[in-house]
Amino acid sequence: MAGLHHLYLTVGPARFRVASTWRQPLDQLAALYKDYPASQGGYADFTVRLEPEKPWRRYIRPSVHISGDFWLPDAAPLPLSQCLLAAEMGMNLQMALGWRRHLLLHASSVEKDGKALLMTGLSGSGKSTLSAMLAEKGWRFMGDEFALLNPDTGMVHSFPRLISLKNEAIAAMQAILPDSRFGPLLTGTPKGDIRHIIPPLDAVKRMADTAKPALLLFPRFGYDPVLRDMGKSEIFVRLTQASTNYVALGETGFQALTKFVDRVPTKAMDYQSGEQAEELIDSLWSQL
Amino acid sequence: MMGDARPLIDALRAPETVLSLDGTGWTDLISIARAESLIGSLAHRLADVAVPEQIQPVLKDAIQAADLARRQALWEADCAGRALAPLNCNTVLMKGTAYVAADLDAGVGRSIGDLDIMVARDQLTAVEELLLDAGWEWVKPDPYDDQYYRDHMHELPPLIHRERDRMIDVHHTILPLTAGPTPNAGAMLDYAVRLDSGLYVMAPADMLLHSIAHLFADGDLAGGLRNLWDIDRLVRQFAGADELFWMELGVRAKLHQLEPHLARALRLTARLYATPVSENLSGSTNMTDHFYIRRLLARDGWGRENRKFTRQAFYIRSHWLRMPPLMLTRHLWTKWRKA
Amino acid sequence: MSQLYRTTAPEGIIQRPLDSMTLIFQKSSGITHMIADPVPAILEVMAEDSLTARDVAQRLAVSYDLEDSENAADVVLARLAELCTLGLVEQV
Repeated sequence: MAGLHHLYLTVGPARFRVASTWRQPLDQLAALYKDYPASQGGYADFTVRLEPEKPWRRYIRPSVHISGDFWLPDAAPLPLSQCLLAAEMGMNLQMALGWRRHLLLHASSVEKDGKALLMTGLSGSGKSTLSAMLAEKGWRFMGDEFALLNPDTGMVHSFPRLISLKNEAIAAMQAILPDSRFGPLLTGTPKGDIRHIIPPLDAVKRMADTAKPALLLFPRFGYDPVLRDMGKSEIFVRLTQASTNYVALGETGFQALTKFVDRVPTKAMDYQSGEQAEELIDSLWSQL
Repeated sequence: MMGDARPLIDALRAPETVLSLDGTGWTDLISIARAESLIGSLAHRLADVAVPEQIQPVLKDAIQAADLARRQALWEADCAGRALAPLNCNTVLMKGTAYVAADLDAGVGRSIGDLDIMVARDQLTAVEELLLDAGWEWVKPDPYDDQYYRDHMHELPPLIHRERDRMIDVHHTILPLTAGPTPNAGAMLDYAVRLDSGLYVMAPADMLLHSIAHLFADGDLAGGLRNLWDIDRLVRQFAGADELFWMELGVRAKLHQLEPHLARALRLTARLYATPVSENLSGSTNMTDHFYIRRLLARDGWGRENRKFTRQAFYIRSHWLRMPPLMLTRHLWTKWRKA
Repeated sequence: MSQLYRTTAPEGIIQRPLDSMTLIFQKSSGITHMIADPVPAILEVMAEDSLTARDVAQRLAVSYDLEDSENAADVVLARLAELCTLGLVEQV
């Protein structure tokens, strides 16, 4: 059986060993994650595996099957040209199914003055793009995919993986960021075009710094700008749906989430442009 | 490095062997243990060992995950017990749920998936109705599979609870009806032991024999290291508590036509986990044991199953064990056509 | 209506009121239930006693100044049946 290439990667509190039949995804990861801490003596929390779906698919129309310590039985393979996406999905999968040290919220997060702004919502809400944008405007980027809530302290931990931009958001960020911050353009993925950006160096250097959750937003892109109050029951239910490990954490998850809902001011935010969102966020932030 | 599942076997058998592992060795061990669904058992087993601080949180997570699995399994058992209460039949818990319900060593840290229960065959229809009333639904309403299960298998087609999203398998015996040996299901039910909850578990010898039948008859020895670890734990606990256990085990193995299976399982667990076993029952090493060992250890340090050929060979064999050839062909054909 | 009910292991649940709803975390199952009025009140007045639906309705009438009627007992009975399915209440 063929051996595997591999590399170690540390993102926030999580340590990954990414193993692959091909060098290509690992080379791309190594370049994009070059400022992140590498191996910690060979220790890892999770192993991700990128392998051909069938042995002959290593060379012929190569397709990448994503698995590892935690896996989904029906995860569809991706073409080798999208192997970077496969690696990122593999790491997401380990976190979503295996991480238990924090309550995982499917949310982006940025920090200012030790306080965190969390944004959560369905795909297309713009939470990822908003976090990337704010990261260029004086906020510290903490993550665009998962916010990690510490059940003991109530603090948010950073998980600053590559920022994943989709479709229209790519051009918008290309207008303000140098090319050196971008990964390869991946076309025709299951989610359309995807291009990753490397978070600001500050976000990487300070990835162990936690922040106190100060504001939670449910952004919705494409509607007249407005801020709306939400009932606590609705917030609670939507956060349980936005958490991959709420059930797995049992009582710990319940305590952490009810405390969060009790303490963190929350609004639904509709917006049509980055500028509008920034204005709304600034107005809320100044009142905290 | 990256060879086979031996680091896991070593760590379970003799926890102090992990002291010699470096970082990569630990990462390999964790991947193997997760792939074999033994990470919770391993974490408990290493409770008294000086584990490097880099790995302590991984093991702590595994212990908490197993605690949750245990709680959920007991709750599912309670739910099934409540649903079946009007029937007044003996509901026997099986496998992982039985181990945790009876508070056995085999349940410590064990991963538990579906709920498996056994009831008397003549109660099946009534059980089915009560479960459907209480919120369980058929997993796949497929007439072919359904008929196949009802005609040839040892269980009802699987049911899933529509709110809790958990599966239940209702058995009326422990092996497919087409398998060679015919265990005496009635005797297993008669000997079952009542727990405080009102649910039952099999008597020690029957419980061990079921675990053994499960190891050889279900699938292609996949997950075999976990099954064999169950067997090791059960043997040590039962034989340690009752000096007549081996005698009883021999009698029950004969009754259930599982003597060769018992002998093989005892040899394998003695070989891999150093389980103290009765040589009267285990017999002496058989040449083919070697293949079983290789199959059981077929897992590399990345967590991948390796030695595909051995695996394939076992898969075909495991189907032959359960189904007469013609029926097998028909079964596969139907599957191929649908694929 | 003579069937007696009691709550299962009150120490086994954690209640958290959130605006209009109440969350109940059930330790034995790990399930979070979201319940609306009058269920939290029913659980509260039952305390640790074994009661019929009628008894519960009467206690609600006293504690919450609700109208006690045959109809109220029917409502309570329906809620008790649901709570039994969830394992929060059991028949005695």
